[in-house]
Amino acid sequence: MPVTIDTEKCGKIENCPGEGLCIKICEKGALVEKDGDVALVPENCDDCDLCIQNCPNQAISKV
Amino acid sequence: MSSVEREGDESRSLKHINEKCVGCGICASICPTKSIKNGPVLPIARGLVDMDYVNINEKSCCLCGLCAAACPFDALEFKIDGEDIKNMDDYPKWIKDAAIDSEACIYCKACETACPQDAIRVQRTLPNREDLVIGEIGVDQDKCISCKICEELCPGDAITVQKTGRNEYETVVDEDKCVYCLVCKRACPTDAIKAVCSSCAYQDYKFDPETFKTHGDTILNPDSCVNCGWCQEICPVDAAVVTKPFEGEASFDDEAECKGDSCHACQDVCPCNAIEIVDGQSVIDQKVCVLCGACANVCPQKCIQINRTKINLENVRSKSWNNILSSLTSGTGK
Repeated sequence: MPVTIDTEKCGKIENCPGEGLCIKICEKGALVEKDGDVALVPENCDDCDLCIQNCPNQAISKV
Repeated sequence: MSSVEREGDESRSLKHINEKCVGCGICASICPTKSIKNGPVLPIARGLVDMDYVNINEKSCCLCGLCAAACPFDALEFKIDGEDIKNMDDYPKWIKDAAIDSEACIYCKACETACPQDAIRVQRTLPNREDLVIGEIGVDQDKCISCKICEELCPGDAITVQKTGRNEYETVVDEDKCVYCLVCKRACPTDAIKAVCSSCAYQDYKFDPETFKTHGDTILNPDSCVNCGWCQEICPVDAAVVTKPFEGEASFDDEAECKGDSCHACQDVCPCNAIEIVDGQSVIDQKVCVLCGACANVCPQKCIQINRTKINLENVRSKSWNNILSSLTSGTGK
């Protein structure tokens, strides 16, 4: 089951303390930049949960 | 760099050395005042963020020095009145160690190549080639018909048939290149080449074996060594001896869902090159693991458990320190 992004907690990449760390840390291409936001590509998600653990805003989770 | 310094009856200072730190979290787990927090270990290890592995809360740190005493990588430096507690009789002493016996070493560089921290330098002088390759060779130019068979066959490119006149040739042997393999001599149709390999002819007994040896020096830098044991594992002559900071085992939960291929966080933070991803799963090589626990902390699936049975730290005189340190060997991995 792919992850979910809480857009309110996430905010714009330009305001992210990790400068879009989740995108850089995901090697499956499941998180991408889209108009300054982080967007999810669910079919690429491998459920490794690295993004959940490393998001500085705790904006990524699994419901 | 994170540091704390205070003056009282005595002056005490704690300094974190990020270059030596691996973000294992041992200091944070044992700090009695919970004043140490780890930075984002995996992003730091991958070079995605420029931050320190450890942040010390200057206000709450009581400058007890326990973190510095227990850091297996010597990444925390604690001084009282300018003197490092590692040199003071009253404080704990690691019996972790790594040493390479220069007498036994054959300077093969296996340890230098294997060392994950680039802590070993092998400086070596090879024997002289002239001392190893010994023989004699000569061409009887009167018998030589300049057929060039020797030139074509010579595996060392040591023979050339040079034109010296209108239809005159000379067969010349470069003795710096010739190894007296005698291929030319055997193949010469006119028996014009006289050659002998002294090494074969005299079966080495004429020669001093000392002149065949590689000499050198193998230097281990204790500042970057993490006592992982790679040098000991790989040394073909048992010249390297390593005592690790902890004894025990890192165990892998086969039930947990390791996503080795896409995650490999454990592999990236391991200071010992002890982890390999095999068939999409993380595999820990116990022989070169120091049980620091950095991998267990960054694993999002909690696949790895560190079970330490012994800490090789001696002379822990304080009862309270002993109590806290025992949490490192209680098998919780925290």
